[in-house]
Amino acid sequence: MQFIIAVILFVGVIGAVDARIPWPKGDSGIAAR
Amino acid sequence: MITGHFGLAAGVKSWATQVPLWALMFAAVWLDIVFVPLFLSGIETIETVPGAHIGYGGAIIHADYTHSLVGAVLLSALLGWPAGLLWGPRSGMTIGLVSFSHWILDLAVHRPDLPIPPGNMLGLPKLGFGLWRIPVASAALEFAILVAGAYLYWRAALAACDAKGRSKATASLSAALILLFGLFVLILDVAGVAQ
Repeated sequence: MQFIIAVILFVGVIGAVDARIPWPKGDSGIAAR
Repeated sequence: MITGHFGLAAGVKSWATQVPLWALMFAAVWLDIVFVPLFLSGIETIETVPGAHIGYGGAIIHADYTHSLVGAVLLSALLGWPAGLLWGPRSGMTIGLVSFSHWILDLAVHRPDLPIPPGNMLGLPKLGFGLWRIPVASAALEFAILVAGAYLYWRAALAACDAKGRSKATASLSAALILLFGLFVLILDVAGVAQ
């Protein structure tokens, strides 16, 4: 249960907040095309 | 260990800025994510150590496939490969290494329950330095990794916002949430709440 809570908080919530930061994008891979 | 893995992923983000943080966080606990269905189906099990602290560090974990050395390498490669296609080879390697770092951190805290080949098929001695025998030390290690990871992440996130002339509030919020959630999960873990 703790593990599931932790995954939701770190992967979901923090991941969503972090996505708003203008990190430099990679220059290769499908996501960069 | 839960918080320590996420703390390490936050620290890695400070130099692997092209990889989304959610993917690094996911990779850091990938072995445990695969463990869940195997545990629910009874293939991998958890045995409570008699007389040990209930909950945190008080178990021998028979994760003989997901947490074997060979299994960890294979699962890490399995995750790193699609990440490499999506974000480039360097990012794929980073995701694979973060995934494998899970095994290294577990090696430090687990009692000797980590086999080398999957299913411990060769009957070799299992590995684990057993820091969980001293829960205070293990929790302190997790906390230290969390604080270091959040700090490295915060510095890099501030620099990323600065470079684009954007507000630094989101960078600070994100770093604060890493610390807050990390501490919350560590407390739940140590207290044995919501097992």
